[in-house]
Order: sequence, then C-alpha cells, then structure tokens
Amino acid sequence: MELCDLSAHELARLLRQKQVSAVEILDSALARTAAVDGRPGTIDSGALTDEDARKVHAFITLTAERARAQAQAVDAKLASGDDPGLLAGIPFTVKDIFCVQGTKSTAASRILANFEAPYTATPVARMEEAGAVMLGKVNLDEFTYGSSNESSAFQPSTRNPWDTSRVPGGSSGGSAASVAAGEAPLSIGTDTAGSIRQPAAFCGVVGMKPTYGRVSRYGLIAFASSLDCPGPLARNVTDAAMMLQVIAGQDAHDSTAAQVPVPDYLAALEKGVQGMRIGLSPDYFRITFPKAEAGEFDQQALPAEMEQAVRRAADLLRAMGAEIIEDVPMPNTRYGIPTYFVISRVEAASNLHRYDGVKYGYRTSQPVADLTELYRRSRAEGFGLQPKLRILMGMYVSAAQYSEQYYQRALRVRSMIRRDFDEAFDPHGKYRLDALLTPTTPTPAFPIAAVYGDSVLMQYADQLTVPANHAGIPGISLPAGFNSAGLPIGIQFLGPDFSEDRLLRISRAYEIATEDEDWRKRKPSMVKQDEVIS
Amino acid sequence: MTEYETIIGLETHIQLNTETKIFCTCKADSWFDPPNTNICPVCTGLPGVLPVLNERVVEKAALLAAAMHAALAPISFFDRKNYFYPDLPKGYQISQYDQPIGRGGYIDLPIPAGTAPAYIRHVGITKLHMEEDAGKTRNAGNRRLIDFNRCGVPLVEMVTEPDLRSADEAAQYLIRLRQLLRWLGVSEADMEKGQLRCDANVSIRPKGASYLNPKTEIKNVNSIDAVREAILKEVGRQQREMDAGRRIEAWTLEWDEDAGVLRKMRSKETEADYRYFREPDLLPVRLTEEWKQAILKDLPELPLDRRARFITQYGLPEYDADILTNERTLSDYFEQTVQAYSGDPKRASNWLMNDVLRMINESGKSAAALRLTPVHLAEILKLVDSGIINTNTGKALLAKVEASGKTPGQIVQEEGLAKVGDDAVIRAVCQEVLAENPKEVESYRDGKITLIGWFVGAVMKKMRGKADASLARSILEELLNAR
Amino acid sequence: MSDIISVETFQHLVGLAALQLDETESEYLRRQLNNQLKAINELAAIPLDESAAITAHGVPFTAEISAPPRPDSWQAYPDPAGILAQAPQVEDGYIIVPDIPHTTLR
Repeated sequence: MELCDLSAHELARLLRQKQVSAVEILDSALARTAAVDGRPGTIDSGALTDEDARKVHAFITLTAERARAQAQAVDAKLASGDDPGLLAGIPFTVKDIFCVQGTKSTAASRILANFEAPYTATPVARMEEAGAVMLGKVNLDEFTYGSSNESSAFQPSTRNPWDTSRVPGGSSGGSAASVAAGEAPLSIGTDTAGSIRQPAAFCGVVGMKPTYGRVSRYGLIAFASSLDCPGPLARNVTDAAMMLQVIAGQDAHDSTAAQVPVPDYLAALEKGVQGMRIGLSPDYFRITFPKAEAGEFDQQALPAEMEQAVRRAADLLRAMGAEIIEDVPMPNTRYGIPTYFVISRVEAASNLHRYDGVKYGYRTSQPVADLTELYRRSRAEGFGLQPKLRILMGMYVSAAQYSEQYYQRALRVRSMIRRDFDEAFDPHGKYRLDALLTPTTPTPAFPIAAVYGDSVLMQYADQLTVPANHAGIPGISLPAGFNSAGLPIGIQFLGPDFSEDRLLRISRAYEIATEDEDWRKRKPSMVKQDEVIS
Repeated sequence: MTEYETIIGLETHIQLNTETKIFCTCKADSWFDPPNTNICPVCTGLPGVLPVLNERVVEKAALLAAAMHAALAPISFFDRKNYFYPDLPKGYQISQYDQPIGRGGYIDLPIPAGTAPAYIRHVGITKLHMEEDAGKTRNAGNRRLIDFNRCGVPLVEMVTEPDLRSADEAAQYLIRLRQLLRWLGVSEADMEKGQLRCDANVSIRPKGASYLNPKTEIKNVNSIDAVREAILKEVGRQQREMDAGRRIEAWTLEWDEDAGVLRKMRSKETEADYRYFREPDLLPVRLTEEWKQAILKDLPELPLDRRARFITQYGLPEYDADILTNERTLSDYFEQTVQAYSGDPKRASNWLMNDVLRMINESGKSAAALRLTPVHLAEILKLVDSGIINTNTGKALLAKVEASGKTPGQIVQEEGLAKVGDDAVIRAVCQEVLAENPKEVESYRDGKITLIGWFVGAVMKKMRGKADASLARSILEELLNAR
Repeated sequence: MSDIISVETFQHLVGLAALQLDETESEYLRRQLNNQLKAINELAAIPLDESAAITAHGVPFTAEISAPPRPDSWQAYPDPAGILAQAPQVEDGYIIVPDIPHTTLR
C-alpha cells in the first residue's frame, strides 16, 4: 500500500509516531500525481491524445514548492515537539473556485485564467493553519456550471480514475478524482446542486455538503450565493470528519456563516446508530420530470442497482439497532430542478457582472471604440457557453416584468421543498427522522461527451441532491459498492440543520458494517497501472 | 402667457461620517488619499469576496430616520441593484429596495419672509435607506480614469415627495438638512467634498392643476446656490417649451458648474433593468427594541424644535433664535450662559451674537471648544450689570479670558479693572487735567461747552479707562463752571 | 411549444448581459434557453402554497444563529498594490478604460 493511498487519519498517526515524515508523504503524493494525472488542464490545449485519454487530469495548477515548504515546516514542528495541527502533513487539493493567495485562481474559465488571487479563502486558510499541505488547484466545470467537468475552459478536463472514458462528475470533478486516484487524501470542493456529492458518488469517495452557513464562503468565487457550500471530499468518513472539524465555524468575513458552535465530530464518530430513526422515501427512488405540457409529470424508476444499494444499507443499519421508516413522503422533490434553474441563474447572472475586463482577468486585445464594447468583447471572448447560457437565463427570469412569475415563485417553491424536510425531521412530527437515506445519483458516471449537449437531462441528474441545497440542510454521499459495469455507486444521508455530527456517525456505522466487503479492496484501474510501473 | 406652478422633489445622497466603510473595514473618508490606496478585496469586488455590515451605519441611519419622523423598521433588508458602470466594481450596488430601514417621515421647513411673509412648507419623505457609494471616475481625452477609494462608503439616500414649490424652498430644504446632519453628528455634509449630493426632479404645471407633467432630473449639483440656479434655469426652459406648445421629455441633465449650463446626459440604465433581488450575502438588519432604544437615547432636541422653544421660553426674536440654533454647541452654550447668568436672556443673546460669535468664527473653534465658558460669560455680564466694570471693560475681558483661561473675577482683580467710584480720586485727576490744559479751559469758558467730552476722555486716559465716566463728567462741569 | 424567447427578446438579453454573440452561438444559446424554459415553466403549474414564505436562504437565520453586524473599527488592507497589480491597465494609480459613450446636447 503506497503512502499516498493511506487515509488522512492513518497518515496523521504515522507522523505522530515519527514512522514517516511529512516530506515523504508529499513525495509519495507527487509521485502518484506524476504517474496518473497526465498534463494539467490549460486553455488552448490543442487536440486530445490517446495518452491524455488514459490519464486523470485532475490538476490545473500544481503548487509543489508551496507544498514542500509546508511539509518541511510540519517536520520541523514535529522535531521540536510543537503542535503541528490536526491535519499536519496531510496533502490536499483545492477546487480552483477558491481564491488562494499567490496561486492562479481561475474558476476554470478563460476570463480568470491570468488572475492571481491576492488573498486566501477562509476554509483553505484554516486547513493550511492546521498543517495541511496544499498540493494544488484542481479542475472543475467552468464557474461550477455543470455536472461532468467537461465545460471547463482548461482541457483536457478531468476523467474518472475508475474508467477514464467516463466523467468524474461535477462540478467538483477534479476534487473527487484526485482523492479517488490517490493523489491526495483530502480535497475541498463546493456544492450548489450536488457538486460535491455527485462527483463523490461517481468516483467512489466520501463527499459532504455541510449545512448552509456551517463553512465560510469567503474566498469562494460565487455562483449561487444562497446555495453554494464549501465541503470536504475524502476517502473515508473519519477523514471527512477531521477536515470538517478544521474548516467549519463562524467567520468575521462571512455574515452568513452561522453562529453555531462546532461540536467535536471525531468524538461522536464511533457511537453507532442504536435507536436512531432513518427514513426511506419513494420520491427518491425515481426521477420525476415534466412531460411536454406543463403540469403533467413522467416518472422513471432508478436503475435497480441504485435502489438495492440503498436497501442493503438500510438492512445493515437495522441490524445495528437503527429503526428504518419506510415511505416517507417528500412530494416537493420533483420541483427542485426548475426552482434551482431560476434561483441559481438570477444569482449567477448578478455574480458574474463583475467580470468586465476592467479590474482583473481577461480584457479583449481587440481594438474597442468605447467602454461598452470593451465589456461586450471581453465577456464574449472570456466566458464559455455555460456561463453565457446562465447569464442570459438569469437576465430573463429576473427582468422586472418576469420576476414575479419566475423568481418570486421559485423562492416560494423553495420554502415548500424546505417544509418536506422540516416535517420529516420534526422531533414531534409523524416521522421524527434522524436522517433520510437515499441514492445519491440516478445513474453512475456517464461516458464523456455523452449527454453534455442536452443540458436539461444532465440537470435532472441533480434531482436527488438539489433539494438539500434549497433547504440548506446537510447531506453526505458515501461509496456503497460498484454496479455491474464496475462503476462506483453512492448512497446519501440527509439530516436536519447542523446535524453533521449525527450524519458522520451514521455514515461511520455503515462504513464499519461494510469494511470487510470485497469491493472496498478495489483500486481504480489506472492506479494498478501505476503499481506495475514503479 | 399661462402662469405655472413649479413642482420639485429632491433626491439626496448623504455620506455618513462613520470610521469605516459600510461593508468592509477600509476607511470611510479617503478625500486626501492617492487613487486606489484606500481599497481591499471586498470594496474592489474581487472574485469570492463578501460584504459584512458596519453596525455604526445602522445606528446613524436610524438616528437620521428618527429625526425625520420616519418609522423605524424592526427588520429591513438589503437588495442588489444590478448595472454595469466603471465606478461599480461588483457590477451591482448593495442598497435597500422594498423594505428599507426608514418608512415615511417629513420635515416642516420654515421659509423666511421674502416678498411674502414667512410660512412653513411641509415636505414628506418617500425613501430613506442605506446603500454603498460607488467609486469616482474622471475622463481624460477619450479615456476614463477609475479610483475605487470611495467604493463602499456608507450613504443614506433620502428622497422627498414632490412637495417643494420653488428654487428657494429647495435651497432652504438643503440648508435645514445640512444643519440637521451636523446637529445629529451623522455627517459632515460638506457639499464640496461630495458628502451631501443632490439631484433635483423638476416639473411645472399650470397653476391650479393637480396632475404631474413629466419631470427632468438634474444630477450632481454640488452646492446649495448651484441647486437654486440650476432649478431656476430649468424652470425657465420648461416654461419656454410649454409656452411654445412643446412637450417636456424626462431627460437626465447634468449641471456644468463652470459654464452654469445644463447638459443632457444618457441615464445609466432604465429602471426595469436593475433586476432588484434580495442580497443573499447579507442577513436581515434586526433593529431590536433594545438596540433601537440605545440609539434613540442619543436623539437630541432637534434644531427647529429648539429654535421654536428659544422664542417662547426666552422671548427671543426669531432672528436671535435662528442664529443661536444654527449650530448645536452654540445653542447649548447660550442655554448654559442663561442658566448661570439668570438675567435677561436677550442680553446674553446680544453678547453672544455680537462678540462671542465673532471670536468663534475668527478662531475656527466651535462654541464648545472655547476656554471662555458659559459660566465665565455669565460672570462678566453680572460684573457689568452690578457696575463693578463698565461695558467696554466687559467686552475686553472676553478676549482676555479666552487667551488666559483665567476667570473674569481673577483678571479684574489682578489688573485692577474695577471702576473707581471714589469722588476724591476722580476730583484730583480732573483738577490735574484742567491745570494741564489752560487753553482748553479758556475756550470752554468762552462758550465751547462741547469740549466737555474731550475733558472726560482725558480723565479716562489718565485713569486708564477705569473711571466712572458719568461721575467724572459731573465733577468736571462743576470745576469748569465754578469761577 | 412556440419559442418563448424570440430573437428580439434574445438580442435584448444579450445587450443587458453585455455580451456579443455570433450567429451560431446566438442560435444555439437561444435554443438552449427555450429548451430550459420548458422545464422552468413547470414552475407556473405548481399549485403554490400562498403561506410559503419568501426567504433569502433555505436555513432559517434566527437571531440566535445570526452573526451581528461588525464594529466600526478601521483595519487597513495591507496590500492594495496587490489588487491593482491584477488590473490590465494602470497609470499613476488609476485603472484605465476607454470612455463611456454618452451624448452631450445643447
């Protein structure tokens, strides 16, 4: 087992027992990256080669020198007996939607390709202060707009380590792939409609969207400010808990970072699920989408393997003392996507106003007659298709004459989606759930360039994850085996506001119940390749 | 020629004098700073930044809203106003749209007598909310230079109902508003420094009509006189247009200070395109009862109320009350003087308006900063009233106390300024003067009795002004007429 | 279903968005917009519960968990030059752009 394949908490233990140094851990991670990642994503990257098609391409910017300095600092502290921090020596990657001082912070867009951030996002700063070692900035869908990483302006975009002909998911594709491929035990991603949980499920890793307001958004380049959540991607629940411990909590730079004390996630982890009430909902075992005429709905059951993974997890948890509550109705789940389309586009269109070629980032090199033309050319040449699509939709649905019909209506439907969860989790209600267990995604990782053209179908892929973003509640996706095609399957636990400690505890119980199963020993195809070489 | 009525509404942007900007911890006042130095990632709208509300902005805005008799909203919200402009780094301005901190409000404006007698103009307030300022741009040739120093400076936007009926009333509104802002201590309101900016919405209609014609908006006029002049010019233009049968279009006009001319300019964007929506990066502003009471504790008696009270309580004429309540510490100074003096308030007012105010203006200090305290002034007044010193000595004492900081009594005692009332001493000096000036005695006795004034002056000079002039005069007449 | 967003409306949106699109991009994006509007128009068909409040966030930010506004104390940002360094064109501390088109009359 290579050092880079170990989990964060194992590496932390080895470091404290001085059996390994932070620099050795870093070298192992860099070696794995060199072996499996291939060339980093760049703009104007030329044609895709066969070699490219076999690599992960998680990275846009590798920060090896910064990482080495941090690793050496950790080793120095360990040598002098100082406390090196909870995440000392642990390599981590950063979704390139976070500003990190001194690094290119590109949002995977041409319009910010040359932007070097003069400040660091709070969650990243907290990880570095806790001794973590930043390996680099990883790829994503441009401005996080997408579920497959393919819309990144930095090509070749990330590929799924388990099957490089398939997508890693998105928009935190680089984060999930870098963790799954053993390049780094931890990554920080963002989740606006499922952008952590879906790639985590596609790549067979743990991905958590904390409660909105649990982790500061300062330094997170905004997409939909009322939905965006920074969160951890890791190989197991303990590592995710360790990382959340470091990044969670109030922040003077973010008014929406809630004043809620951060519990000790690690202490609660092993307490089991005795007496816990876990719900299953039929609304999460199918996709509901509109037929041609508005008001009529079609339903499509999920692939059997998805439902079986969830039901098996329920059985395991029942065996460990949890109570499983069937048929919990979540009637407004079906409205998550259209509501998301409207709310996210209104906020996105506004949040992208600032990219105008004036202050930073891309400014057209074409001659322009006046300022208006500078705006138009810079934005036309700097943005990819997805940002343009979302800006235009945002303009349309928030224009004064349409706002009532679209935007105000969407905000009301969002409250109805929230009410589903309030009723399910109400301690005095009919169901009194501690958590809802659901599949994470309707399909496993789909082939690259397969559905990218038809964005509506791809958007329905988020139907099981976006309700948690609307409600603001926390959700975690766990690897739960593989389907017949050898692709990872994820299951999801959703819980009430600020119940991360309970979700981690339930997830850990599931992890313990399945730790000896064969699928847990599988390695991504390309990692085996690497072992053959070294 | 039909006779027209002028309809004016004023939009003011008031720069609050907090220490820091509204959503970041940069300085609020950067008037003397070089360009783009008073900036941070937040106020320059870098990717990923978030606004954090400054509590003092809420407090000063709430104080102003209360002083304008507006209802204070227990919960108010920030919204985004989206438009592209080089002085707006985020591409949207964070403002308050449908649920602002202040609702309604008014000011009863005293209009001084002019051709008509003085009257009160009731001016309603339609909008009163918090927002962030934009940066500054100026053009140089075909380029525009952008300075973000002022981005994020806290503003209160206050908009009146179209209740003003003349350029003079508009000017009075600005005068009273500036006085109130300084009085409350929420803004320096220096129009030259852009701390109080005014846009005027002007329209006219035939006298007696009740409908409103389309209005033109006159933008960034930066002095009270300029507002009056710009409005007068625009009203004149609109009258000529109406008389010629042409319609008034809703133009946006910019006042060119130097040329004294209005220029048509393209407005930033039509209203419908601002695409207002709730600011997701900020929480609602919760003005709890407890916080509100703490704020309103600082709400002083308002200038116009105090002005009215000075007239009734102290029997002062309107003129005195107006001057004495122009600036808050001056009005406090007057009241403390009257309390310490307990004599005729008008007398205290005279000394204050004629002498002490000159000292204040010349020294540039505020009344509160004078070393000559109200107790000192009262003491001087009592000394003069009781005849211990005469008026001139009293007036001279003002400057002496201010310079030395000693009390009037101390100075009178040290410099022996007390009037000498004893006959013998004056008699002796009078005889000296007559003896030294035989020619003048001769001509007085030949009938030139006006010389008596000269003789009194001579005696005062000898006694260094300390003598009782009337007593000296009667002794001199006695000596001169005795033969 | 007819196109909800006509070519004229689309061009207006492009102007509002300060973008400039060639023919193929315009057609592709307009089609995508109308396509997505089919899904969005489903919002109109949802039986709306009038009592459903409008909130800016899913999580109810009660007073207890809401961070209060910050004190009014000055903390200068240490590196304004670092911000200016990102600007495409700077002269004597000013960020330079071409002038804004405006018509001056009279």
